[in-house]
Amino acid sequence: MTGGELLLELKNLVVSYGGVEAVHGLSLKVHKGELVTILGANGAGKSTTLMAISGVVRPSGGEIHFQGRRIDVLKSHEVVALGITQSPEGRRVFGPMTVEENLKLGAFTRKGQDLEPDLKLVFELFPRLLERRYQMAGTLSGGEQQMLAIGRALMAQPKLLLLDEPSLGLAPLLVKSIFETIKGINESGVTIILVEQNARAALKLADRGYVLDVGHLVLEDKAEHLLNNPQVRDAYLGSR
Amino acid sequence: MAHLVEQLIYGLTVGSIYALIALGYTMVYGVMKLINFAHGELFTLGAYFGFVFLVTLNWGGFFGPAIAIGLTVILVSGLVAMAGHLLERVAYRPLRHSDRLAAVVSALGASIFLQNVIMVVWGSRYRAFNASLLPTVVWQVGGQNIPLIRLFVFLVAVAVMLGLYLFINRTRLGLAIRAAAIDQGAAKLMGVDVSRVIAVVFIIGPALGGLAGLLVGIYYGQINFNMGQIYGLKAFTAAVIGGIGNIPGAMIGGLVLGLLETLGDAYISGAWKDAIAFVALILILVFRPTGILRERVAEKL
Repeated sequence: MTGGELLLELKNLVVSYGGVEAVHGLSLKVHKGELVTILGANGAGKSTTLMAISGVVRPSGGEIHFQGRRIDVLKSHEVVALGITQSPEGRRVFGPMTVEENLKLGAFTRKGQDLEPDLKLVFELFPRLLERRYQMAGTLSGGEQQMLAIGRALMAQPKLLLLDEPSLGLAPLLVKSIFETIKGINESGVTIILVEQNARAALKLADRGYVLDVGHLVLEDKAEHLLNNPQVRDAYLGSR
Repeated sequence: MAHLVEQLIYGLTVGSIYALIALGYTMVYGVMKLINFAHGELFTLGAYFGFVFLVTLNWGGFFGPAIAIGLTVILVSGLVAMAGHLLERVAYRPLRHSDRLAAVVSALGASIFLQNVIMVVWGSRYRAFNASLLPTVVWQVGGQNIPLIRLFVFLVAVAVMLGLYLFINRTRLGLAIRAAAIDQGAAKLMGVDVSRVIAVVFIIGPALGGLAGLLVGIYYGQINFNMGQIYGLKAFTAAVIGGIGNIPGAMIGGLVLGLLETLGDAYISGAWKDAIAFVALILILVFRPTGILRERVAEKL
């Protein structure tokens, strides 16, 4: 699905986090409709990059453009309003709130709009959430919380969805189903950046991939090429 | 135990005032993880604004008691809310990204500053708050004395808290406030403008605190420039007892503290009133540091 209209572009992005430079000059492009994955070991700067796109962390250098507009100068709520949402690492659902309240918060920027169709859509995607609609999010299992985090990020009707480690800590069977759902979301027209440590699964899903190593971009290619790249196989895919 | 019902009503009245003030501490703490040490002075400011309207300008004689009370409640809440908003802008917002200790010191400074401003403007003497708005009616129910003013204070406080509860739980902005208190970063990712949430919290909290000051003035009939210290301390205790950062917790904590104090005063000794309150604080911190409603307590000040 490459070759579409350019949606997001990072130009030489530099981000420091807690006084330490975590991302050193990352350039990256995402086209409309693509599913792009960012791979790399712990501390490679993947989450920091997503937080910079979301406007939660301010870059110390470089630029971020979304639909031709510079967004690294915007505040996080303005970025969300433009159509970029994130399901963060560790899910970060609002535990003392109900599933429905969490989902409504996801649509916070859509003031005064009817949310019923979107709630219905999320519940179709994740029927488990419908069963737990009025339950506190903190009482859900890890997998259900992950579904909630993704569903919540969809409630804003994003153009670009950032998914940070959606498979972290989940049972293998559940990982498979979450990845299938992610594929489905992408096929419904949402552009996705997927950050994963589960590199093999991510590459099978993605159109293109970027490989980061301690804040540097080391590789960038089509996903199927990366899957067969010996360097990637050794470092990130294990020896299978 | 002869006057138990009487004491319980008294305890609830005092407790509802603590609860109103405690809400200001707990809402600010919830969103900013900061104890607003100047909150007690905002409470005092409310008492003095009420004094100006009801005593200096004698609105009660001018408009009649009902309109005078309504107008004063609205104006005092509004004015103290403005003062709170200004305080946030001047003393806290510039330090949002600095060390936490800097904000604490700034809060203490703001507290001393406000207290001195009040003293310079209205003097250091006790001022008589003789608004004589409500007739001194005392009902006798089954041998128990129930003064009208006590019920009045309690009902006003409860009505306001009910309104706040509905606002927090039923509105979009209320949802955003709760989200920011649970996880500020995640709230940002939802598109919540956290700066705006903080501004709103610094309007609602002071409004409630100012209203409490007004009620104390009307109820006890005298006010003083440093009355905010002890009330602030008690209300902070109430917030911790309920679980600081937790809104229903502040309401419950206030009522529990008011009841403890009043019952201790009546059945143990009046001299022990404050000691009882702070022993309760120590016991909570030792045995249930998360408060009655299990909220995380200040890991750092």
